[in-house]
Amino acid sequence: MSLVLQGVTKTFPDVTVFRDLSAVFPAGRVSVLLGPSGSGKTTILNLLSGLLEADAGQVLLGDRSPVEARVSYLFQEPRLLPWLTVEKNLDFVLPPGLPRSCRKELIAARLEEVSLTGAARKYPSELSGGMARRAAMARAFIFESQALLMDEPFQGLDLPLKLSLIRTFEAALEANPKTVLFVTHNMEEALLLGDEIFVLSQPPARVCLHLSHPVPRGRRYPGHEGFPELERRIFRALDPGAEPDCGPGSPRTPA
Amino acid sequence: MTVSTPRLKSAGIGAASLALFLGVWKAGSLFMGSSIILPSPEETLREALRLTAGKAFWLSLGATLLRGTAGFALSFAAGLLLGYPAGRSPLFRRFLQPYLTVIHSTPVLAIILIALVWFRTEVVPVFVAFLMAFPVIIGNVVQGIGAVDEGLVAMARVYRVGRRKRILGLYLPSVLPFIASGASAALGLSWRVVVAAEVLSQPVLGIGTGLQEAKIRLETPRVFAWTAAALLVSRLTEGAFSRLMRRLRNRRGA
Repeated sequence: MSLVLQGVTKTFPDVTVFRDLSAVFPAGRVSVLLGPSGSGKTTILNLLSGLLEADAGQVLLGDRSPVEARVSYLFQEPRLLPWLTVEKNLDFVLPPGLPRSCRKELIAARLEEVSLTGAARKYPSELSGGMARRAAMARAFIFESQALLMDEPFQGLDLPLKLSLIRTFEAALEANPKTVLFVTHNMEEALLLGDEIFVLSQPPARVCLHLSHPVPRGRRYPGHEGFPELERRIFRALDPGAEPDCGPGSPRTPA
Repeated sequence: MTVSTPRLKSAGIGAASLALFLGVWKAGSLFMGSSIILPSPEETLREALRLTAGKAFWLSLGATLLRGTAGFALSFAAGLLLGYPAGRSPLFRRFLQPYLTVIHSTPVLAIILIALVWFRTEVVPVFVAFLMAFPVIIGNVVQGIGAVDEGLVAMARVYRVGRRKRILGLYLPSVLPFIASGASAALGLSWRVVVAAEVLSQPVLGIGTGLQEAKIRLETPRVFAWTAAALLVSRLTEGAFSRLMRRLRNRRGA
């Protein structure tokens, strides 16, 4: 299921984030969205998840609107219900009609995938930051959906923990394939995870650079063959003034 | 089992405070020299023991307890039912506001007198308790709904969590601490207004009826004994309710 934005316009009271933005995030791939602050990366996720509505244009997940489609969402914070245990947090997003034995089985499988089996009965307050993010990841994968939206879920983690979580994520994605749209500010994360890399320009944003990663997933470190050229082009696109296409487009709509 | 020093100290301070109160009371009664104006603590205790020996006292206590519980339960249910939509919708909140302001600003005695015109004497205390406790409960529920983490609400929306599960699994636990504090305040208020309403409406049985009868006969020690009974009912129910809420919170790990 590809994620499609067709001529989308979105205006907030003080700024037009997009005007006639079009982009296609291909099915079954991990698309990474980079761009300067305020370029509307999270807004794109919120439009695709149905949390926001576009002022104009079309947002499609496959052939469905965001209201009809089912998507998983990994937010910046884990957003676990503090009064429920990890397993109950996963159960919270399962459909009510599912038999008990089936629910238990699904929960156990997803927790195993993110190495959190031992923490099933723990409350979020008893988890470390990394464990809480793993729990949120398990919830994203237990929810029956064809797409996963990720809003900087590894932000603020130290490198070893981040790498460990990225590997956990890759394994879980392998077991439960989904189309992924991953928003980040971090070049390492983009290069390690992204199959398709999109860079947004200054607002009103448009896709000013789209690159396909030459190295298949399972990349281990940014120095890997094929990385430097990619890195150079992304860096240039994000450097204000270095890439004319990604510089400020139309001026911001006055408040 | 050993008792820790801070607990011992706290119990000691409590005992000292009680001793001071009883001392001042005793001194005051000696100074007045009339049990009609201020009976002594021991006279009050004797009267209380005499009162509790009779069946009528327990029936009165039960009747008041029933009325207070009924009024509180009605306001609790209405507060929850209307508090949820009021918390979610500013328009509905605006619609309810004038009613709540009127209830809040009207003197209790005026409400009791009006209720006396409308209802049977048995129902008056229930109605008044309901009306006085309702704004407290709904106010806290609305405040609690406003404090629900919008991030969790967005998460539940994205994951297509049904309305019933969202209310029971997300809103209710978020609002629970607010409900607990509102209900505790409303419960205390309920007892006070139930007894006040009984004093004026004079149902066959009730702490308020007992108080009024004792006052008419100038049996001040008995008035004090009935007052102590009302105080005890209030403390016991509030304590039981707090324990219930604590247990609910602990069970949910919040």
